[in-house]
Amino acid sequence: MNILSAMEYRVTFFLQVIGMFINDIALILIWVIFFAQFPMINGWTLQDSILLMSMVTFIFGIVHVFSGGSRELAKTITQGELDYYLTYPKNVLWHVSISRTDISALGDMLFGLVLFCFSGNISLEKIFLFLTISLFVAFILFNFLTITQSLSFFFGNFEDAAEALYQSMMGFSLYPQTSFYGFLKVIMMTVLPAFFIVTIPVNIIKTFDLLSFLLLLGFALVTFLLAVLVFYKGLQKYESGNLINLKM
Amino acid sequence: MTSHTLSFFSWKKKRDKYLEIVKVQSKNTTTYVVNLFSRSLVILLRIWVFTQLYTVTYRVAGATRIDDFTLPMLIWTLMITQSFQNSTRPYVARIIEEEVKTGSLAYTLNRPYSYLLFHYAGFLGRILPSLLTNILVGIGVCLILVGPITFTLSGLAGGTVLLILGYLIEFSLMLSIGLLSFWVEDVSAFVWIYTKGQLVLGGVLLPLTLFPDYLRKITEMLPFAAVFYTPAKLMVSFQPETFWYYLTIQLFWVLLSILTAVFLYRKGIKHVSINGG
Repeated sequence: MNILSAMEYRVTFFLQVIGMFINDIALILIWVIFFAQFPMINGWTLQDSILLMSMVTFIFGIVHVFSGGSRELAKTITQGELDYYLTYPKNVLWHVSISRTDISALGDMLFGLVLFCFSGNISLEKIFLFLTISLFVAFILFNFLTITQSLSFFFGNFEDAAEALYQSMMGFSLYPQTSFYGFLKVIMMTVLPAFFIVTIPVNIIKTFDLLSFLLLLGFALVTFLLAVLVFYKGLQKYESGNLINLKM
Repeated sequence: MTSHTLSFFSWKKKRDKYLEIVKVQSKNTTTYVVNLFSRSLVILLRIWVFTQLYTVTYRVAGATRIDDFTLPMLIWTLMITQSFQNSTRPYVARIIEEEVKTGSLAYTLNRPYSYLLFHYAGFLGRILPSLLTNILVGIGVCLILVGPITFTLSGLAGGTVLLILGYLIEFSLMLSIGLLSFWVEDVSAFVWIYTKGQLVLGGVLLPLTLFPDYLRKITEMLPFAAVFYTPAKLMVSFQPETFWYYLTIQLFWVLLSILTAVFLYRKGIKHVSINGG
């Protein structure tokens, strides 16, 4: 319904989808320029960056198309707009998450799929693996968004801080993963789980490893439980802003 | 009272009006300290990532200097560029887009001040506190990760001049993009293209120092690099002829971007229709 509603404004719809496609091309262009000068970074090549970008843009697209409301949860909480969702006999977290669709993210999904075709990993098996892994990783990203955005229940206006955490985490996903070491890698595995969103998935697609796959599933489950806990604990602290909120 | 005195007081009153806007926006930005420092957190993590990535890059290249830049100089340039760029959020284009979508444009257009100068004053008020915290955090991170480098007074002075002009270009271009919302309402696509232009061709993510020579010469002439990268580069490594070269490029883009913004505003204001109720 969100997509159909957005398609009523055809010019804006196509501008957003095409604009995001161009946006994503620019991101890969950086690495084309970089790897033209430095062909390999600790075993990481341009092909690996292409695979990484295809995964990141695809999962970004999935999350923002199907649960665009999760990225604006902090704003919804701060502005007292949660009241609207509390009046419905539906799961609040689910309802808030699907309330919004970021139309431009369709461009990301399309770009991710097209770029995957250039990653040198094309076979039916690889495509199936890519799509399956992407769904689990998108789920982890959704959990991360829910946890960070729900901190607004506890800290008041946490919009910018939640966005900064998200940008920091996504920022890790742009770079050759073999260049990170030390305490930065610990951060990537815990607080800002880029390791589970990009490093492990890319490795699994390159060379399938059952242990890594199970680790990814386990992390998805743990983060989901944590996301639900943080959200509903926070919801108990929520105070209505008496805002009259009309959804049309 | 003479007419000169009257026009001085009139100018002072107008100046004070916009200074108040700067103060209000500054206060607004500093009210939520968590939000203010969260932007600096992004800088901290990015500099950390850059340090690790470019340490490996210099090792792979087998070089201690690339285009006369050592690794510490490169990281400091990136830190300064990122600090400048990061302080410009929320983008002016988004603010104007929001005004158009919510209809609050009706109020801002009717107020007794210039719409363009109002947004410029707001822009200045927002960037000042963010820039200060970004730079302070960035300096701390760079000192820990790569150690100090030598700055010269002429580099800092020249870089500051270019930074002031750079921010003016950034504002004018973002304002022009925002004014497009008078026609298309949603300007997200244009904001993405412009910000990605800065990222790819503006030295924000990949320093232009690491570009092939022919590409670097082209990108240094574009507005993306003129906004933040050239001021940062000059602060780290000052050369008089480079300063004049960058200044000439910036003055060109300042003139073009301001003229574009004024043109779009005058055309766009005729397109605005406000539905009462």
